[in-house]
Amino acid sequence: MVKTTTIELLSKKEFELIKITGDVRRLVEESGIQNGVVYVITAHTTTGIIVNESLSCLEIDIEEMLERMVPTVYPYAHSHFLPSYGATGGNAPGHLKSLLAGNHAVLPVMDGKLYCGRAQDIYFAEFDGVQSRKVFITVMGE
Amino acid sequence: MVIDVHVHPGFYGTISKDPGEVELRKKAAGWDLMSPHPEKVTFTQMDAFGVDKLVLLPLDLTTTMGGWVCTNEEIKTLVDLAPERFIGFASVDPRRKDAPEVLEHAFKNLGLCGLKLNPCKQAFFPADPMMDPIYKLCQKYNKPIMFHAGMSWEPNCLMKYGHPLNFEEVAQRYPEVRMCMAHFGWPWAVETAALILKYPNLYTDTAALYMDSPEAFMDQIFNRTWGPLWFEHNFADKVMFGSNNPRFRSARIKRGLDSIEMREETREKLLGGNALRFLGMEG
Repeated sequence: MVKTTTIELLSKKEFELIKITGDVRRLVEESGIQNGVVYVITAHTTTGIIVNESLSCLEIDIEEMLERMVPTVYPYAHSHFLPSYGATGGNAPGHLKSLLAGNHAVLPVMDGKLYCGRAQDIYFAEFDGVQSRKVFITVMGE
Repeated sequence: MVIDVHVHPGFYGTISKDPGEVELRKKAAGWDLMSPHPEKVTFTQMDAFGVDKLVLLPLDLTTTMGGWVCTNEEIKTLVDLAPERFIGFASVDPRRKDAPEVLEHAFKNLGLCGLKLNPCKQAFFPADPMMDPIYKLCQKYNKPIMFHAGMSWEPNCLMKYGHPLNFEEVAQRYPEVRMCMAHFGWPWAVETAALILKYPNLYTDTAALYMDSPEAFMDQIFNRTWGPLWFEHNFADKVMFGSNNPRFRSARIKRGLDSIEMREETREKLLGGNALRFLGMEG
């Protein structure tokens, strides 16, 4: 059986790590699937899904590491007028941080529950906020 | 006080319930791959990036496209939704027979704070005598005019109508009417500089980001196209923060302006003080 649900989020900053472990846990339990996996997948190209330990110091380190690797101000090729949008590409850093974070995470489902390691939390990572966002939660199993 | 004087609310949820209307706006404005969102997103963006108020601009294209890119009534609806955040302008298609009545209704009954005209999209030269009744109403009601100036990305419109020099005669004939030649009049930003230097009633705004990054584009305008001291020494009172959202994000234009060196007092004028004077809302 496969069950997909969409959750919607409104990011509040340009860079933001939003913890969604609770949502994923609830949707796994509501799916009725006892054993399998859950995929957490972002619907966007300037966001990511991250699994890490939920400590504010680590959240700062993640943000600062990504900023060092992909600085806000840099002569990105994407920074030009895009006729297909009628707008100028201003979010190259968001696209590149998304590439580094990845678009999804996979975790086990056992006995009808999300099965995480002790230190693991699931984050939706916003790299181009403020925006309204969607995340797909797909539970697969039996 | 930070005021973005140049916002087109074509995708604000409250006034985007009719998909046909949204499609007309997208087609008219050359906004593609964009979609409606609740006003909550806009308010959150304003809070996140320190923008206090937005000037919302409609556009009447009745005779050229058979519709509006946001009507005066829709602007009034949005202002009523958040009067502490939104300042509403009116528009009128100068070629419609009832243009003066439409405009007077917007000023008198809807309480809108200024007039938005786009000579390129509405296909008129600003100094055309046809415009006089409209300018006289702005004078009568003490309402400023936000003119599109410079390059027009929108389809089916010509840039020739938006050259900054087209506004000189109007500025001279109506010295009491405050007028903004938006977008630096880009690419004619030097001509714009000459006009705002000469005419006390002429302003410009920063709603342009056509070529590269916010930092690179603003550096080009403020330090290269204009001399590095032109703005601060000559027309620090005449340039207003504007973004042209949704084409460019308010936060990104502000980021570009933040990267330009200027005195703090000058930055306060650029980001809001000049807008208050232009809008007639100076304390």
